[in-house]
Amino acid sequence: MTRGYLIRRLLAILLVLVIVTFAVFAITAILPGNAAIMILGEYATPDAVAALQRQLHLDQPWYMQYYSWVSGILLHGDFGMSLRLSLPVSQVVGEAFLNSALLAVTALVAVTIIAIPLGALAALKRGTAVDLAIGLFSYLGTALPEFVTATLLLVFLAAPNSGLFPAGGFVAPWDDMVGFASHIVLPAVTLGLILLAHVSRQVRSEMSEVLASDYIRAARLKGLTERRVIRRHALPNSLAPAVAVISLDIGYLLGGIIVVEEIFAWPGLGRLLMYALENRDLPVIQAVTLLLATVYAVSNLISDIVIALLDPRVRYA
Amino acid sequence: MTVSLAPAPTDAASSKEKPALAIRNYSLSYKTDSGLVTALKNIDLTIKKGQTIGLVGESGSGKSSMAWSVMRYLPPNAVETGGAIRLAGEELLDYTQRQMLDIRGSRMAMVFQDPSTSLNPTMRIGEQIAETLMRHRGLSKIEAFAYAEAALARTGITRPKEMLTRYPHEASGGEKQRVVIATAFACEPELIIFDEPTTALDILTARQILDLFNQLREETNVSALYISHDLGLVSRVVDEVSVLHHGVIVESGPVDEVFRRPKADYTRQLIGAVPNPDRWLGVDAPNPPKTLVKLDAIGVQYGAPSKFQKMFWPDDAEKAGYWGAKDVNLTVRKGELLGVVGESGSGKSTIAKVLAGLQDFHGKLEFDGQSITSRKGIDKSYRRRVQLVFQHPDASLNPRQKIGTIIARPLKLYGVVPREKVSARVAELLEMVRLPADFAHRYPHQLSGGQKQRVAIARAFAAEPDLVICDEVTAALDVSVQAAVAELLVKLQKDTGTACVFITHDLNLIRQLAHRIAVMHHGKLVDLFDRDDARSPARDAYTKALLDAVPVPETLAPETITTEA
Repeated sequence: MTRGYLIRRLLAILLVLVIVTFAVFAITAILPGNAAIMILGEYATPDAVAALQRQLHLDQPWYMQYYSWVSGILLHGDFGMSLRLSLPVSQVVGEAFLNSALLAVTALVAVTIIAIPLGALAALKRGTAVDLAIGLFSYLGTALPEFVTATLLLVFLAAPNSGLFPAGGFVAPWDDMVGFASHIVLPAVTLGLILLAHVSRQVRSEMSEVLASDYIRAARLKGLTERRVIRRHALPNSLAPAVAVISLDIGYLLGGIIVVEEIFAWPGLGRLLMYALENRDLPVIQAVTLLLATVYAVSNLISDIVIALLDPRVRYA
Repeated sequence: MTVSLAPAPTDAASSKEKPALAIRNYSLSYKTDSGLVTALKNIDLTIKKGQTIGLVGESGSGKSSMAWSVMRYLPPNAVETGGAIRLAGEELLDYTQRQMLDIRGSRMAMVFQDPSTSLNPTMRIGEQIAETLMRHRGLSKIEAFAYAEAALARTGITRPKEMLTRYPHEASGGEKQRVVIATAFACEPELIIFDEPTTALDILTARQILDLFNQLREETNVSALYISHDLGLVSRVVDEVSVLHHGVIVESGPVDEVFRRPKADYTRQLIGAVPNPDRWLGVDAPNPPKTLVKLDAIGVQYGAPSKFQKMFWPDDAEKAGYWGAKDVNLTVRKGELLGVVGESGSGKSTIAKVLAGLQDFHGKLEFDGQSITSRKGIDKSYRRRVQLVFQHPDASLNPRQKIGTIIARPLKLYGVVPREKVSARVAELLEMVRLPADFAHRYPHQLSGGQKQRVAIARAFAAEPDLVICDEVTAALDVSVQAAVAELLVKLQKDTGTACVFITHDLNLIRQLAHRIAVMHHGKLVDLFDRDDARSPARDAYTKALLDAVPVPETLAPETITTEA
């Protein structure tokens, strides 16, 4: 991996983000009707509409609107004010992003720790009952919609039936670590069940291939212990596709988990986006979209770097 | 544990007489959907201390099964139906897999066919050698790496310390095979199984590996089982040879004896099929020679920078890419068979791709008076007149299409015959390549390797081309099949008057077929000569090296012909 490659990738990410800003901005410009009326409702007084238009710079040509929006972000880190919450967008989105990130990281770490060994085990026991059971379990996790898994978990593990975990809500870890931990379990498990199949299936299929390769046979014929053959030879060669999938899942975990955040009342990005869409809070929609695009692009770059670290043959130039 | 059937040994003294490996009356079958399939039947084989025994057979003969049996590394569906395999008198069949773990890599080791797949691509070479020593010799990491360095030095690696830190893809094919051999010899095993260790290597490298093998054999007095399909090669390295056919040893004995006076029909057939450069199979060269294709200063640059790259990173653009072929001037004459020889990466396939219109090129291509200066200038009529046959018929025949559909494709595409006559023409073409006409209704997987290659040849000739490019068409086939396919090609060429560019690394074979031979090296054409001049002193030094490296059973072959007669 050369420095030139990294610079080129970062430039490419920048280009993607510029295109995304245009796309996001186009939504507001292309939306039929007057955004101010849509926000205020059809019975709004003309004065209120005019005032809102001025506030939103809707009375200016689109390129001026675009310029003032982008320059606000670039020069002051200012994404504008939320129309409904009367708070700076950066503050609203920042908090939600942090909450989502906590949930995403917890779910991802759990999935990685569980799914990789599970996939490896399935590959090793290929065609046996163990393989079948792992396959069935992880497919069920993916096949069942989030709200079904979440509801089942709530019924069996949350109050009032068992009361093991709180049914919803969020406690910041810096306020109360134990409270945070108990609140995060159910949403993280729900997400983990969904992602389990993604990762474990990738590991299984890649590892099956690796186990059938000449160099694994060679390692076994050197008399190495099975433990070393699996851990040192087979596993490191089986992780690349899983890393690629995990990087795609990061984007999903941050923005696409609206249902899970809704059910467990987790104040994350997905929920915020939903709220902003319902209330036509344009500055918030724009900021969240831009943020998600950045996360996708960056996690993709990170996964490419990790894959290069796993396999010395991968050369980016 | 004494399982030996031999008279009770009085240890120390008699242990010397115990053979390194003794296989007695051993049989092996595989459980399949259609019942038990015999892989090996009543095998008897003895390797004395310090001896090398060759096991020769074609694919499917069971020679690899034999290796897995000895290593006790059989697939779950294997059924052993009796016999004994003894390593220095110890019955291996009685050992559990756990016990075998201690024997594998330490008392028995194996060298594989393809070094580029038998080394772990993500692990440094040093660790791959050292781990064996740490496992079996209980060495510390530092000690093991020191040993590994010494082991590499013994195999002729010039800078062993540096090699330890490399990954397999950073070493050449020959270096990788040396690494595999160093690993096999690391724990000073009693027995090493060589499974076609030079098949995947270039001619010159293969020669060096064979020399290394002979050198190590003298130094270490190791016993070896050398498995190969290549009779000529085996005759160079082994003391005795056993010929395996359909799981049965049909003949064994000292190597000279077997080659000079083969007893079994199958052995004779195998020896007869080995390409012998003195046995001319080709047809007379067309006279007077007329030029069909002329390559004028043809060059191919791989990884050339795009316009975009040139615009933004002009510095990188200078460095990017390398020449797969450079300044190649070559003519192909009407009706001739031109051999193109070279090692992998020499540019021989690049030239084939240029001729077939699959590769962008610099320079000028003249085809039957028509001048072409870029790939885009190649039109449909050119593509009909120049056909290509690939190395692997498995990859070049669509597995979902019937043979009839595959051969009919060029007929329909180029409108060679009217629609209603297509199926009749397909039958004719199948007959031309000596396949039954009803093969048209079969799928590729129902055919053998040789049959599939015949189909690929029929497809090429269906377009009624002026030039057929054969890219290593016999390399994936067994010796006996190889000869038949080569002969078929020559006959078709004679009947149709088509010119042929035959790309190969097999010098013996090409000297049987070609009128002229072109030698490529590092993307350049280094030599071009008539077949009769192959041994002329005027040859390029590289050509001479190639010719010298080829294992030709020259002294043996003519004699076998007379025995046969």
